[in-house]
Amino acid sequence: MFLKSAAVALTALLATSLTAKAETIPVLVPITGFLSLEGTSQRNGAVLAIERYGKDLGLDAEVTDTGTSPEGAVTALRRALEDKPSAAVASMLGTQMLAMLPIAGRAGVPLLTVSGTAKITEIGIPWVFRFFPGDSVVKVAQARYAIEELGAKRPALLHQTTAYGQSGAEHLRRIMRELGAPLVFEEAIDISVKDMLPALTRMQEAKPDLILLHLHSGSTALVIRQARDQNIALPILAGSAMHQPTTAALLEPKQLAGVCAESASSPISEPEGQVEDFTAEYRARFGTEPDAFALAQYDGVSMLIAAKNAGARTAAEVRDWLASNSYDGLAMTYKSDGKGNMAHDAVVVCYDGKSAVPVIKRRYENVSGVK
Amino acid sequence: MTAIAFTQILLNGLALGAAYALIALGFVIVLNAAGAVNFAQGELVMAGGFVSIAVAPLIGEATALPGLLLLPLVMGLMGLMGAGFAWIAYFPVRKRHQVAVFVSTIAAGLVLQHLANALFGAAPRAGPPLISGNGLTVGALSISLQQIAVMVCAAVLISGTGLFLGRTQTGRQMRAVAQDPEMAAAIGIRPKRMITLSFALAIALAGAAGLLLSNQFFVSPNDGGLFMLKAYIAVTIGGWGRLDGAVIGALLIGIFETLVAALTSYLVAEALLYALLLIMLVFRPSGLLPERARARV
Amino acid sequence: MSDPRSRLALGVAAIALALYALFFAGDYALHVLTRAGIYAIAAIGYQLIFGRLGALSLAQGCFFGLGAYAAGLGALELGLGFPLTLAAGVLLPSLLAALIAIPVLRLASHYFALATLGIAQLALLVATNWTDVTGGANGLYGVPPIETGTLSFGHGLPLTLLVWACVGLALTVSHRMTAGQRGLKVETLREAPLAAAALGIDGSAIRFRFFVASAALGGLAGALQAHAVGVVSPDVLQFHVLVLILAMTVIGGRASPLGAVLGALLLVHLPEWFRDFADYYLVVYGAALLAAIIFLPRGLAGLFGKSEMPPVETADAEAPRDPAPHTLSVETVSKRFGGVTALDSVSLTLAPGEILGLIGPNGSGKTTLVNLLSGIDKPDGGRILLGDADITGKPPEYIARSGLCRSFQHPQIAPDLTVLESVEAVTAEGESAAARVTEAGLSDRANENAGTLPPAALKHLEIARALAAGASVLALDEPAAGMNEVERANLAALLKRLADAGHGILLIDHAMDFLLPLADRVICLSAGRVVAEGTPADVARDPAAINAYFGESPL
Repeated sequence: MFLKSAAVALTALLATSLTAKAETIPVLVPITGFLSLEGTSQRNGAVLAIERYGKDLGLDAEVTDTGTSPEGAVTALRRALEDKPSAAVASMLGTQMLAMLPIAGRAGVPLLTVSGTAKITEIGIPWVFRFFPGDSVVKVAQARYAIEELGAKRPALLHQTTAYGQSGAEHLRRIMRELGAPLVFEEAIDISVKDMLPALTRMQEAKPDLILLHLHSGSTALVIRQARDQNIALPILAGSAMHQPTTAALLEPKQLAGVCAESASSPISEPEGQVEDFTAEYRARFGTEPDAFALAQYDGVSMLIAAKNAGARTAAEVRDWLASNSYDGLAMTYKSDGKGNMAHDAVVVCYDGKSAVPVIKRRYENVSGVK
Repeated sequence: MTAIAFTQILLNGLALGAAYALIALGFVIVLNAAGAVNFAQGELVMAGGFVSIAVAPLIGEATALPGLLLLPLVMGLMGLMGAGFAWIAYFPVRKRHQVAVFVSTIAAGLVLQHLANALFGAAPRAGPPLISGNGLTVGALSISLQQIAVMVCAAVLISGTGLFLGRTQTGRQMRAVAQDPEMAAAIGIRPKRMITLSFALAIALAGAAGLLLSNQFFVSPNDGGLFMLKAYIAVTIGGWGRLDGAVIGALLIGIFETLVAALTSYLVAEALLYALLLIMLVFRPSGLLPERARARV
Repeated sequence: MSDPRSRLALGVAAIALALYALFFAGDYALHVLTRAGIYAIAAIGYQLIFGRLGALSLAQGCFFGLGAYAAGLGALELGLGFPLTLAAGVLLPSLLAALIAIPVLRLASHYFALATLGIAQLALLVATNWTDVTGGANGLYGVPPIETGTLSFGHGLPLTLLVWACVGLALTVSHRMTAGQRGLKVETLREAPLAAAALGIDGSAIRFRFFVASAALGGLAGALQAHAVGVVSPDVLQFHVLVLILAMTVIGGRASPLGAVLGALLLVHLPEWFRDFADYYLVVYGAALLAAIIFLPRGLAGLFGKSEMPPVETADAEAPRDPAPHTLSVETVSKRFGGVTALDSVSLTLAPGEILGLIGPNGSGKTTLVNLLSGIDKPDGGRILLGDADITGKPPEYIARSGLCRSFQHPQIAPDLTVLESVEAVTAEGESAAARVTEAGLSDRANENAGTLPPAALKHLEIARALAAGASVLALDEPAAGMNEVERANLAALLKRLADAGHGILLIDHAMDFLLPLADRVICLSAGRVVAEGTPADVARDPAAINAYFGESPL
C-alpha cells in the first residue's frame, strides 16, 4: 500500500518534472560584436514567442551568444546539440549559418533563422527555415519601389562591406540593371567608417536622382544625417536597417523627410490588431521597440510551436511539418518554397518628416524574381 | 571636386583629426608616464561617449550648450575612472615586462566593451550635441556648428594640456617622473601619485574625445578598436613619445583618410594609409619625427 | 622541457587530457578541445617570435587567417586533398613572413609591432574586398572535412586526436628550435642583443627562422580551423584572433611551450564556463583574463616552478684550445655623428700577446672606437684589419667570428641563464664551456644565474663568453670599473694569463693604478685624436696626455 502510493507519487513527480522541463529550445544568436543589434532583436523575438506560447508545452529558451565568427557559432551549436533539441533558433549572420548547417544536417536538427544571405537555402541542406525574406525578395521590393514609385532613373548605391552588404549590393546591382535603371554610382563602406562626406561628395558628381542604401543601422543613420546636413535633398531608399526604431532614434524627424526603407514588416507602424499587441508586449518585456527581425523570429518560433501543437515531436517531424505547412504569422503568411525560404513578402515604409514612426507605403507579396 | 567641396572635406578631416588628436595625446601621456602602451585607450573613448549619454539627462534639452556644459563633468568622471584604471590594470603589473601591461589593458578594454554592450545595449546611440542648433550656410558651404565646436574644444584641450604639462608645477613633476622615476623620487616627487594623475589626465582626454565624437558620429560598444588603431598609427608617425608629434600625426591621418577617400574610395584610402605606413617604416624606421620616449613596448 | 621534472609534468598532463578526450568528453567537449588544440598550435608558434625573441608581432592572427584561406581555397578551388591543404596553409603565411621579414625584422619594438599590424590590416582588406577570389565578407563555405583514403577526421574524436597530434608536432618543432645551445643563443639574443651580435650569434638568421616558423605554425592552425569549421570568413583575420593568441601566450608563460598549451586550454574553455553569466559572460571573461595576468606573474607554467638544469661539474674540464693569434691594425679610422667628429684619423696596432691600454677623458672616443672595432657602428673612413682580413664595416657577428670580441661598459647579459649556460650559448661545437668558465675563474659560480652575479663576476663572465666565442683579440670597455682591490688583482691576473696565452687585449680604463702596471703600451685619446702613445711611463709623463685630463696628471 505504502509502496504503491510512493510509486504513484514518484511517477507524478517525475512526470511533472518532465513536463516542466520538456524541452529547451536553443537560441544561438550574435549578441556581441557588430551584428549584436540585429542579433538582440532576433533573440528577443524568439524568447517572447517561447514565453508566450511555449509554456504549455514546457518549452524553455536557452540563449547562447555566437559572437560574429563561424567558429563561435559552431561551438554554440555543438553545445546546444548535447541536449538533442528538436529545433534551434540560429544566427542571422550568413557565414555562421553556412558553418552550422552541415552540422545541423548531420545531427538532423532544423535551424530557424532570419538570415537574409541567399546561399544558406541554396547549398542543399534541407534543415534550414528562413523566416525573413531573403535578398531576392526585399531587394526586388526596394528596386521596384525606387523605380515605380520614386521614378528613379539614376540610382546611386552605398553599401556595407559586410556579408550582408556585399550580397545585397550584388542583388541590387543586377536587379536595377534588369529593370532598366542601372546604378550610376556605387561605394562600399566599412562598418567603422564615421565620415560619410567623402562618399557623398563623389556620389553627387555622378548626379544621381535617388540614393539606395544597403547599410547596417549606424552607417545608415550617419549617411542620412550627413546628406541632410549637406543639403542633399535626394530621396533615400534604405535597406531594412532604417526601419529599426533604434536607427530612427539617431535622427531628427525632419532629417527623415524623404526617407523610405524596405523591410519584412514594421511592427511599430501597425496601430492596431495582433501586431500592436505584440509590440506592446515586446516593449513591456524588453524595454525597447520591436523591429522586423524580432517579429520574423517571433513568427518563426510561433510556427515551430504550431508544429509541436500539431503533434510534431522529433526533429525530423518538426522539419517535415515546417516544410509542408503554411502558417499565418503576424507579419505575413509563411510557407516553404521547397528550399526552406518561408517568407516571400516585403514592405516599403516611409517617414513623413514629422514622426519617428514610419508608415507602410506598399506591400509586396509573393515576390519572386524581378516581377 | 569643386573648391567648396574640397573645403568642406578638409573641414571634416580636420574635425575628425582633432578628435583623434585628443585620443593620441592621452595615449602618449600614458606612454611617457608608465612607459607602456594602454591598449584600452579606444575603449575608454567609447566609454566617454556612453558616460556622456548617461549624464546628459542631468542637463536637459533646454540649454543651448548641452555638450559644452557636460564636458567638465564627463572629463571629471573619466578622470576618476582613469585613476581607477591605473590601479587595476597598471600598478599591479608595473614591475613586469611591458607586454604584461599591453595585455592587462587589452583585458580591461574587453571588460569595458562588453560592459557597455550589456548595460547600454548594442544599438548605436547619439550623444548630446556640444551646441544646439544646426549650422550656418556661407554661400554653398554649409558649416556645421558641431564641427566648429569640436575643433575649438579639441584645440583648447590640447593647448591646455600642453600648458599644464609645460608650465605648472604638477605638470613638470609629471614630466620628471616620465623621464626618470627614480631620480624624481629622489628629489621628493611621488611617482605613483604622478603616474595616477597621468592616467587620469589621459583618460579624461579620451572621455572628452568620446563626448566630442558621440553626437556627430554616434557611439556603439564596438567602436574602441578603430580609435585605438588610429591613435597607435598617429603616435608612431609622430615620433614615439612626442606630444606634439601625436597631435600632428593625428591631424595628418584625419585629413589623409577623408581627402583620399573623397578622391578615390574608402578602400583605397584605408589600404593606402597602411601601405604608406609600411613604406615610411622601411625608409624611416623610427617615425617621421625623432622619438623622445624613455621606454618602448 | 629537457629536464625530467617538466617531462614528467608534460607526460601526466598529456595522459590526463587523452583520458578525458577518450572517455569523458561528448561531442561538444571534444569540439572545444579541438579548438583549444588549434589555438595551442598558433600560440606555440607565437611563442617563438614573441616569447623567445621578445618581438611583439601583431601579425600572428594574420598568419592564422591566411593559413585558413590557403587551405580553404586549396580545397575548394584547386581540389587539393587533406595533407596538401595543410601544406598550403603552412606555405602561404610562411612565404609572406619570409617576404616581409627583411624590411620588418630590423625595426625596433613598437615600430615592428605597428608594421606587422599594418600588414595584418592589409590582409584583412584584401580578404574582405577581393570578392572574386576570397568570396568577400561572405567568405568560403563548404571546406570539406579532413579525409584521407578511408580514414575520416571530419569531427569528433578523430579530429580532436589529429589536431592534438599536430600540437605534438608543433611542440617538437618548438623544442628542436629552442633546445640546448640553440635556446641559450636565443635567450642571449633576446636579453642582450648587442652582446649576442658581438659574440658572433647571427641574430638576423635566428630572427628570420623564428618569424617564419611562427608564421608556419600559425598557418597550420588556421588550416586545421578551416577544415574543422568548414567556413572561412574575414573574421579569421580580425584583430581579436591575435588578441586571443597573445593572451594565451602571456597567460601560459612566455617561454614555456607547455604554458602555451595550458593557456590555450584555459582561454578557450573560460568563456564556455562563463556562459551562465548570460549578457555579462564576456565581462567576466575579461576580468578573469585581467586577474590571471595580475596574479600569475610567470604564467600558468610558473605554477609548476622553473625548470632547473642539473648542475654541471666543472672540475674535470679540459684545458681550452687557444685561438690562432691575429694582429689588429687600425688605420686612420674616422667617425662622425651628425656634425660632431667622434674619431679623427685614429691608427693603432695590437699584436698577439700584447695588452694595449686606451685612456682618455669621457667623450674622447674610446667607446666609439670599440664600437667601430666590433662592428656596432660603421667608420666613415679608414680601415680595420684583423690579421690579413679586412673587417671594416662588417657586421658584428662576422667580426666576432673572425676572432675579435668585446665587453661592454654595462654588462649585457641574459639574467635568467646561469653562468655556464651563458658561456655555453656561444661555445663552438666540440669545445668545453665549463673549461672557459674555469679559465675565467668562475667555476664556483657556474650554476648561479647571471642576473644575480656581483658586478666583478659579470666582467669575468663577459670575458669567459668572449673566449668561448673564439676571440683572439679582446676589446674590454672599463672592465675594472667599480671593483675593489682584490677584484682588480684577480682581473689583472686573468688578463695577464690571457695575454701570455697569445690573446691581444685592448684595455680601456680610467683607473690608472690598475691599467698602467698591466699594459705593455698605452694610447691616449682626446677629442677623437691620438694625443700620446708609448710605454705606460712615457704616456703618464706626456704633457698632451696630462692636458687631456684637464691638467691633472692621470697618476
